[in-house]
Amino acid sequence: MPTLLFANLPVENFARSRAFFEALGYHFNPQFTNENTGCLVISDTIYVMLLEHAPFAGFAPRPIGDTHGEVQASLSLTAPSREAIDEILAKAEAAGATVDPEISDRGYMYSRQFTDVDGHIWTYLWMDPAAVEAH
Amino acid sequence: MTTLAFVNLPVADLGRSTVFYEALGYRFNPQFTDEKAGCLIISDTIYAMLLVRPFFGEMFGRPVADAHATTSIMVCLMVDSKDEVDRLCNAAIASGGRKYKDVEDRGFMYGWGFEDPDGHVWEVGWMDPAHMMPEGEPA
Repeated sequence: MPTLLFANLPVENFARSRAFFEALGYHFNPQFTNENTGCLVISDTIYVMLLEHAPFAGFAPRPIGDTHGEVQASLSLTAPSREAIDEILAKAEAAGATVDPEISDRGYMYSRQFTDVDGHIWTYLWMDPAAVEAH
Repeated sequence: MTTLAFVNLPVADLGRSTVFYEALGYRFNPQFTDEKAGCLIISDTIYAMLLVRPFFGEMFGRPVADAHATTSIMVCLMVDSKDEVDRLCNAAIASGGRKYKDVEDRGFMYGWGFEDPDGHVWEVGWMDPAHMMPEGEPA
């Protein structure tokens, strides 16, 4: 069985976050989703668990940080094309995210990022497969 | 095209982090590793980018949180056996990590976790595949 990633992030209001990520085209795995926690399916090996502050604090060893004012981690996800990235960023902006106006385009690599309603930063990137050698 | 995930984490001392994660059995992709960043290979779809704190803050335009003081992400990896869970956590603790929680064994699900030298929380678990419903890429 391949290794699975579950990145656990705190959110203020799960219903709001659910609506946001559904507007981006994602869905939630109902087996691990309830009224205050949701399992966002990114791929068959990549998931993001969105937990409201109370359940998150129940697992976290320390108080939740200021996810708007500071940054402790961020997620980058690959996308199949530049167009796919522009499309998801447009959906994110329409759904209330703050889109970073800066676009990084180095030819073989293209990336853009947005900040969601909880302050979490999401980067989408495309890399030319020819430029990424298998290591 | 398969989606790849990169968990970007700030580190105080990339050399120390490299030694720590190599002790867990992981290796780094040299193509994306230099003196400011280390690309930790967890699987063929999962990576962690360890970025030195000033570079990390610059990249995202905000002060970098201290993971020893607050917790704003917990990274959970589900691996393919209970033995692998124990191997990773024991190696982490033997190499300067701290135990994050005690073993939780519910039969079909098993896990515990560690904090790395920067205070980042890693949970490592195993789940009986029979208890997981198949999920694919979004349509």
